[in-house]
Amino acid sequence: MALDLGMPILVVDDYQTMVRIIRNLLKQLGFEEVDDASDGTAALARLKNRKYGLVISDWNMEPMTGYELLRHVRADEALRTTPFIMVTAESKTENVIAAKKAGVNNYIVKPFNAATLKSKIEAVCGA
Amino acid sequence: MALASRTRKQNAAPEKSSLISELVEIADYIAHLRTEIAALRANELTRDRLPMAHEELGCVVTATAGATNSIMTVAEEILSLPDDANYRSAVEMRMNDIFEACTFQDITGQRIGKVAEALRNLESRLSRFAAAVKARDEGGIDPEEAKRRKRNELLILNGPQVKGPATAQDEIDAMFN
Repeated sequence: MALDLGMPILVVDDYQTMVRIIRNLLKQLGFEEVDDASDGTAALARLKNRKYGLVISDWNMEPMTGYELLRHVRADEALRTTPFIMVTAESKTENVIAAKKAGVNNYIVKPFNAATLKSKIEAVCGA
Repeated sequence: MALASRTRKQNAAPEKSSLISELVEIADYIAHLRTEIAALRANELTRDRLPMAHEELGCVVTATAGATNSIMTVAEEILSLPDDANYRSAVEMRMNDIFEACTFQDITGQRIGKVAEALRNLESRLSRFAAAVKARDEGGIDPEEAKRRKRNELLILNGPQVKGPATAQDEIDAMFN
């Protein structure tokens, strides 16, 4: 199944440069509908107001981390099926296992490149 | 009665001598402590070195953010250039902007070097002081630090690893396949 390039994507990161990088990479891949939020709390507010085809989130943010956001999303009946990719510098195996247990669809460790992002989006949204 | 009084006087003499020697020891220790505290030069640290370190690191953050912003802006401009006869010259002109933005590294390197030197100096003074006064850390940890550690543990916040990712992307991929 081809990727739906029109699907809205929510990028969650407290580092504006990273938001800009991901936004540009997504644009290169053909995605134009990209919103952003600076932490889990702001992301949840956006998720309540718009149906996103994918969430790409950092882990380490304040006040609400990406890990907490993931658990909120998976616990919410209306949001639980939203595809969720973690993009983070948290690279310990315990982090990956915890995210997987919490229901993350894929996991990208920073620094990453466009090819990695593309392959994970395809794996999560194109299947 | 007279015998008892004489005995008390005889016992009091060594007690007095012992007390005096203890007081001398305490006075010596206080003098030593004052010398060591002076050697710490705490006022200089709090007035000059630590504010300098804060300021330098602030400048580093600003410079790296500024450079990143410039480089990204140029990259975005290049991506939106029309594919025409002027494309190469337009790209070359923007490449020079990228080279210029990269000069931040030289200055930030020097700034970070100054901060590292200040930290080395602080470490050396503190370790000398701790050794001189035979300081032992008080049991338990600072409540704010305890709170931070608890949050980090609960939310599995390990932060970036010193020598790159602890788990390679390939290994992570294997966990999802």
